[in-house]
Amino acid sequence: MTTVPARPPLARSSDRVIAGVCSGLAVHLGWPVKNVRVGMALATLAGGAGLVFYAWLWIMVPTADEAARRSARRPASPIAPAVSQPPPSGPQPPAPAGGYVGLPTKGAATAGFPGTAGAPPVLGTPPLDAGAPGGGPAASAEAPAPPWFRVRSMRYGKEILLGSGLLLVAGIMIAQLLGVDVPLGTLIPAAAVLGGASIAWMQLDETRRAGLVDKTKADQAGGWARLAAGLALVVAGVLVMVSGSGSWEQTWLALLASVAVLGGVVLVLLPWALKFWRDLESERAGRIRETERAEIAAHLHDSVLQTLALIQRRAGNEHDVVRLARAQERELRGWLFQDPGREAGQLSDRIKAVAAEVEDLLGNAVEVVSVGDAAMTEAHEALVQASREAMLNASRHGGGTVSVYLEASDAQTEIFIKDRGPGFELSDVPEDRLGVRESIIGRMKRHGGTATILNTGSGTEVRLRLQAAGTDNVEGKS
Amino acid sequence: MNANQGAAVSRPANSVRVVIVDDHAIFRSGLKADLDASIQVVGEAATVEQAIAVIAEQRPDVVLLDVHLPGGLGGGGREVIAGSAPLLGSTRFLALSVSDAAEDVVAVIRAGARGYVTKTISGAEITDAVFRVAGGDAVFSPRLAGFVLDAFGTAPADIADDELDKLSARELEVMRLIARGYSYKEVAKELFISIKTVETHVSAVLRKLQLSSRHELTKWAAERRLL
Repeated sequence: MTTVPARPPLARSSDRVIAGVCSGLAVHLGWPVKNVRVGMALATLAGGAGLVFYAWLWIMVPTADEAARRSARRPASPIAPAVSQPPPSGPQPPAPAGGYVGLPTKGAATAGFPGTAGAPPVLGTPPLDAGAPGGGPAASAEAPAPPWFRVRSMRYGKEILLGSGLLLVAGIMIAQLLGVDVPLGTLIPAAAVLGGASIAWMQLDETRRAGLVDKTKADQAGGWARLAAGLALVVAGVLVMVSGSGSWEQTWLALLASVAVLGGVVLVLLPWALKFWRDLESERAGRIRETERAEIAAHLHDSVLQTLALIQRRAGNEHDVVRLARAQERELRGWLFQDPGREAGQLSDRIKAVAAEVEDLLGNAVEVVSVGDAAMTEAHEALVQASREAMLNASRHGGGTVSVYLEASDAQTEIFIKDRGPGFELSDVPEDRLGVRESIIGRMKRHGGTATILNTGSGTEVRLRLQAAGTDNVEGKS
Repeated sequence: MNANQGAAVSRPANSVRVVIVDDHAIFRSGLKADLDASIQVVGEAATVEQAIAVIAEQRPDVVLLDVHLPGGLGGGGREVIAGSAPLLGSTRFLALSVSDAAEDVVAVIRAGARGYVTKTISGAEITDAVFRVAGGDAVFSPRLAGFVLDAFGTAPADIADDELDKLSARELEVMRLIARGYSYKEVAKELFISIKTVETHVSAVLRKLQLSSRHELTKWAAERRLL
């Protein structure tokens, strides 16, 4: 079943004589189509093998269109992928691009590629690839991929094993045909035991390797089916070997008896097994919780407890206490509420960072309210620097809470920095004049924006405005 | 330190009766000590069930309500308001929160709270806010104004638009000024209107925030985890 090696996806081409099997196979193997067709015809002469092979491929191999559609949504059945498409992860040999270029179905065929290489982003069964970092094939090999794809180290091992097994069987049959006496009575049950055991053990191995991966129902069903198949094979093989006769009546009776015994054993042991399984699950969940708790505890220790200790030591200094508390609040808030999926480095982030810096520097709270956001540009950087200067002034001279309001839209960006201090007149503070003129007003002008400083009567408000169009023609460098 | 309502709050002649609902005893006692002498704290509660019982029993003028509360069905302050629905005419709710999460704030406002202030607010400011809410007005902190602007958009409503889904040009102006840290008094001065008119606009915005059926509001609040 899994004899299809993974190369370019095996799909029936629309460049067809009968069903497109030969041309599809040629593309897949990178051989000339003619050779494949001749080979198929020759094989047909050999006892109809080619005909059977052709029919089998016809049934099992999807058309290029189907393949493309299927690879977009990986089937949930554990058996289907091996038949309908090559294993979707693992290193892909470079595709014989030349073979594709000439094909009329190029679009469809190449469309199948994203699904076959690496971890496709669109999957029918998301939990399976939850851990795959959406990257290259190698990454998904380590990630909790579905167990039936997990035979990573021996990529073609299974196929080779199966192939050699079949060849061995063929060899034995030919030998028998040629008159060699083959002890079939021993070989078949032994092979059955071997095969069954390997199926079951493979399952065990993969389950262990899957580790903590959440497995879907289909996945587990596949596992159970394999376990059952392996068990049945082993039991049958052992029975035939032990009974030795190979006579069907005897075998059936023995089989019945052993199945009955096995059923009884399962019936008795099932509760224990279930309990054991549940304990294992709860222990696992507990471990995860414990890890999370430890992480939170570590964070709180590193940040909050340290800050509380500092606050206690500086209890006499109100200024320091407030500053420490504010800084800790910011840090904790960022940790608790920050949306990790959000794009960082936006204008509002920069403004908040600058506000935090001013808060730390001068101890007065700086409250930032932002509406809308914008990506950073050179002009925006100047805006941030100008706001920083304005915040510093407001905190230094206003002496209370500084209110910062950022409103960013497509057309323009506005920042308002307001304090409720005594209000400063430009003329009152001569040494600040140059700072304000240069760092705020001049800087905004150079970047095509405007800055207004306004005495509102109960404080000062600095208004910075930047037109979006102004970002294109920056007049000078600051 | 947020609600810069100024001093121009008309104080009712008789004292305002307040119930404080917060699960942190330290915060409750601190808040009690901070409140003005004319505010009478008639009850305290730490859980959703206690809060509903105390409010039904005391019928206070104002409930200072923490957004996050243990107990009940896990709905916190929203659930307290829902549980006190028959009293909503006479009892008013002012939401207090350390949470910056928009969905929390919007949820409690939409449940019927008349305003929202952060817990870092000073005693004088919270006293003002209590009187304002007791007088039937809405209390908007700069941050809440920012939420509103973000949720409703900063473009004024056309006449044709469903008026519940957008803010009028005047309401936008008021919200912007509040977001910029202006007190109601300063807003009035800046826009050359009376404080009463400012209060009317703010109440109208609050009503829109509570009644707007626009689905973006909920979606926006859920998406916007931090402001």
